[in-house]
Amino acid sequence: MIGLREDQARIWQAADGVLHIDVRGLPPPQPMIRILHLLGQLRDDAALVVHHERDPVWLYPELLQLGWWAETVPGEPGEVRLRIAHMP
Amino acid sequence: MTARQPAGPPQPRPTGPVGRDPRARPHDTPEHPRAANRRQGGAFLGGAGGRLLPASVPMRWFGLAVVAHLLAWGVLGASAAGWPAWHGGLRWPLAALHLATLGTLLASAIGASLQLLPVATRQAVRWPRAAGLLWWAYVPGLALLVAGMGLARPAWLAAGALPVLAVLVAWGVLTALNLRGARGMPGVVLHGWAALAALGLLVASAAALVALWNGQLPWSRDTLRALHGLAGPFGVMGMLVLGLSAILLPMFALAAVPDDARQLRSGNLATLALALAIAAALAPAGGLLLRGAALACGAAALALHVQAMRRVLAQGMRGDLGRSGRLIRLSWAMAAATLLLGLGGVVDESRGGDGDPFGRLAATCAVAGWLGSLLFGILQRILPFLASMHAALAKRRAPTPAALTAPLPLAVHEAGHLAALALLVPAVGWRSPGWLLAASVAGGVGAAGFGVFFATMLLRLHRAAPRT
Repeated sequence: MIGLREDQARIWQAADGVLHIDVRGLPPPQPMIRILHLLGQLRDDAALVVHHERDPVWLYPELLQLGWWAETVPGEPGEVRLRIAHMP
Repeated sequence: MTARQPAGPPQPRPTGPVGRDPRARPHDTPEHPRAANRRQGGAFLGGAGGRLLPASVPMRWFGLAVVAHLLAWGVLGASAAGWPAWHGGLRWPLAALHLATLGTLLASAIGASLQLLPVATRQAVRWPRAAGLLWWAYVPGLALLVAGMGLARPAWLAAGALPVLAVLVAWGVLTALNLRGARGMPGVVLHGWAALAALGLLVASAAALVALWNGQLPWSRDTLRALHGLAGPFGVMGMLVLGLSAILLPMFALAAVPDDARQLRSGNLATLALALAIAAALAPAGGLLLRGAALACGAAALALHVQAMRRVLAQGMRGDLGRSGRLIRLSWAMAAATLLLGLGGVVDESRGGDGDPFGRLAATCAVAGWLGSLLFGILQRILPFLASMHAALAKRRAPTPAALTAPLPLAVHEAGHLAALALLVPAVGWRSPGWLLAASVAGGVGAAGFGVFFATMLLRLHRAAPRT
C-alpha cells in the first residue's frame, strides 16, 4: 500500500454504484497517490468521484497519461468535487 | 473489478456533471471576478487558480536557466586559456561561474519555488503579478553583472548587481510570506527558512564584494568570498534542493512523503553544518575544527536525506524514474564527493598545506556535480509535467507529459553532462586549459541537448494549446 494507511482516505460506493473517495485533509501528494491507486483497481467503464479541498492540479497530467479525465461537479461549500472517468 | 466497498460517510447527492470551463485562466483566484463568475455558473475551480501561476512565469525562469547554462559552458570554453592565472578575481571564469549559479541554478530554483511552494504548502500565490515582473528585472541585471565581471568593470558589476540583489530580496519576501502561512510540511518549511537565512547572507556578502571591487569597503576579501561561496551553493541552493526534493521525488515516484521527524532531523543537521561552516569562515583560529564538525554534520544530514529519498523511490508506484532518476542518484554521489573533498582540504591544511586543489574540486563537485545533476534530473521531469498541467486547465484533451518530452535531446544532454563532469575533474585539479576546453565542449553539447528538449516542449505545447 505504498506506505499509506487505509484510514487516510475514506472510500465508499454510492447508491448508483459510483465509487467515491474523500481525500480532504491529506497533505500533497497523498491525495494524488490514493486516487491513482484506486483508479488502478477500477474497470474501464467505471467512474470515481473525488472529494477534495483544493483543485488537484498535479493530478491532471497523471490522469491524461493513464487515459482518464476529470470534470468538476457541484459539491459542498469549500469542497472541490471531481468525477473521473476514462477518456471517451 | 471494482475497488473495495467499505461503509462510508453519507452518500453525496447525485449532481449533474459540469465540464471544466475552457476559459478559465490559471491565475484566477476566488478573489478574482472571473472566479466568482465561474462559481455562479456552477463550475468551481476550487483554488487551483490561487495556487497556480500563469505558465509563462515559471517557464521564463526555466528558459533563462536553459540559455544561461549554454552560455556558461561557452564562456568557460572561450576563457579556458586564462584559467591557470585566475584566482577568483574579476574576469571571464568568474562570469562563467555566475552564469551557472545565478543564471542556471538560482533561476531554476526561483521558478520552481514560486510555483511549487504554494502548491506544497496549500495556499495561494501571493502577488502573482509581482512574481511575473521579477524576471524582467533579473535578466538585464544578470547580463550587466556578468559583463562587468568578464570585462573587469566594477561599475558595470555594481549596476548589474543592484537589480539582481533587489530581485533576490523580493523573491525572499515572497517565499517568507508563503512559508509563514504554510500548513503542514514542517520539513520543507524548515529547509525553506534556512535557505532564506542563507539568502540574507548571500545578498549581504554579494553587496560587500561589489563594494570591495569598487574600492568602497576595507574588509577581508577572502572572508567575504568564503561566506559568499558557502551561502550560495550550500545555503540557498543546498537547503532549497534538500527541501524541495521531499516534495518532488514523492510526486515523481507517486510515493508517500518521508516522515516529518526524519526530514526535520536531516534539515536541522544541514542547518547546523552550514552554521558551523560560516563560523569557521569568520573565525580562522578554530577554523579547521569547525570545518571538520561542519563536514560531519553535513555528512549525517546527507545520509539521512539520501536514505529517505531512496525509500521514497523504493516504495513508490513509479520507482524507476529513468534518465531523471540516474541524474538524481548521481547528484547524491557528487554531494558525498563534495564533502569528502572538503575533508581532504581540512586534512591537507592540518598538515601545513594550503588545501589546494581540494577547495576548487569541492566547489566544482558541488556546483556542476551535485546541484547541476539534481537540477537537470528534476527539470527534465517537471517541465513536461508542468506544461501538461497548464494545458489541462485550458483544454480538455491536453497533451500528456510523455507527448511533451523529447528523449533523444535528453540522452544527448545526459551524455554531455557526464562527459563534462569527468573532464572537469582533471581540468580543475591541474588548472589545465586543454582539459577545460574539452569539458566545456562536452558540457556545451549537453546544454544544447537540453535546450532542444525545452524548445521542443514549448513548441508542442503551443501547437496543442496555443493559449497556455
